[in-house]
Amino acid sequence: MNNLIEFHDIRIRLAGKPLLNITKLSVPMHQCTLLTGRNGSGKTTLFKILSGLLKPDHIRVHYQGLQMNWRQAKPYIQRDVIYLHQQAYLFDASVADNIAYGLRRAGEKKAAAQRKVIQALDWADLTHLAHRPAKQLSGGEKQRVALTRARILAPRLLLLDEPTASMDGEAKQQTSLLLQRLKAEGVSIIISSHEAHTVENIADQHLTLDNGDIRPLKQSAAHDKVTVLNPLKNTP
Amino acid sequence: MDNNCFTPPRSKTLLAVTEISLASLTAFQLLLSGNSEIWQIIALSFGVSVSAIIIATPVALIVSFTLAFFQFPLRRTLIALFNTFMSIPAVIIGLTLYLLLSRSGPLGHLGLLFTSKAMVIGQILLCFPLLVAMSHASFQAADRRAWETAITLGAKPWRAFFTLMHELRFGLIAAVVAGFGRIIAEIGCSMMVGGNILHATRNIPTAIALETSKGEFAQGIALGMVLLVLSLSLNAGVSIFQGKGELRA
Repeated sequence: MNNLIEFHDIRIRLAGKPLLNITKLSVPMHQCTLLTGRNGSGKTTLFKILSGLLKPDHIRVHYQGLQMNWRQAKPYIQRDVIYLHQQAYLFDASVADNIAYGLRRAGEKKAAAQRKVIQALDWADLTHLAHRPAKQLSGGEKQRVALTRARILAPRLLLLDEPTASMDGEAKQQTSLLLQRLKAEGVSIIISSHEAHTVENIADQHLTLDNGDIRPLKQSAAHDKVTVLNPLKNTP
Repeated sequence: MDNNCFTPPRSKTLLAVTEISLASLTAFQLLLSGNSEIWQIIALSFGVSVSAIIIATPVALIVSFTLAFFQFPLRRTLIALFNTFMSIPAVIIGLTLYLLLSRSGPLGHLGLLFTSKAMVIGQILLCFPLLVAMSHASFQAADRRAWETAITLGAKPWRAFFTLMHELRFGLIAAVVAGFGRIIAEIGCSMMVGGNILHATRNIPTAIALETSKGEFAQGIALGMVLLVLSLSLNAGVSIFQGKGELRA
């Protein structure tokens, strides 16, 4: 199995206490990893480290054939990895403007960004919400907008922190559908969730974060099913 | 002997009301007739205070953001200092600046005392702690996810800073308006380092103080009306702006 990125010796202390001491975390290419762990085990902290938002005490990153320390890896990570909060944060603007945010920051011309936003809205079935103020959306709609906003930037790895928490059944189903589509497009995904059953059908492996380290819990039963869903699965 | 001693209280009140009414009428006439002296004072007042707020605001925003989002030694001490200096009397700033800028002071060679530049410096020192303290409160209460979301979506830190300011614009604008309100109406510092020189450093508050001390109420009332209109306009503007924000949320 090809790995997209490998993190070695992730160590961080918070408030003087060691929180994470992970020997190795490999992220398989084009696959979905489910990460579970009890409350306070450090899942969110780990995601913030993996997305370049939080500097760990120590880390080594193996990416695109390069061995890098934190400082060297940060630009690559911030380019290719996107982290989504448990409760998606949308800026005080319209849905369309939110989705265009990353494109505009990347220097995309307004007209080109607008075209991509229209396509992205269509992809997520959010066209009817395009001009709605993002702050007025429901939790499920916000999560879908956040996923669309991330997808438009073509990330290689998405880190989703409890993406279906506090959602009703329908919203969970819609979010789950978008996650399947993202995976089918070849995006590697790590999902932290207490509701393993909601995302189990798209997860290829199941890891658990316990006592600061990561260990495999089991190979997901849905692995084969997902392989069929994912057309990019066997691309090198 | 003072004849007023024998004037009945009701007549005294009537006299005062009449005097104020006449002075107010004259004040209106002064303002509407385009009295050059009054409008020069108003222009100088606005020029000094707007310059001070324009110079102080960007620095204050960066300082308050740094205090709210980063941990470093003496951070808490700095926050406490800014909170304390927020209410420092203008006359203390004026006195300190006077001692620094006076001919025998360490900065006397700059020749800034009794100039509008000295007034700008004084007003910057006055509004800066207030701007920092109020903006810091906004940044401190900000949703950290706004910053993290901007960064994870590829924004450079300075761009994420602007995004965050946009998210906090209501609180930050209120801070700037409060800062402007503090300096446009202050008298102690402007009087000490400006010297209240006509056509050079006389601003609205120092002119009001001078005219009132001379018993010339009309000009004082006219200038007071300008300050009142400004205060009402600013507050109305902020209220409308914040009302729009509440509708969005």
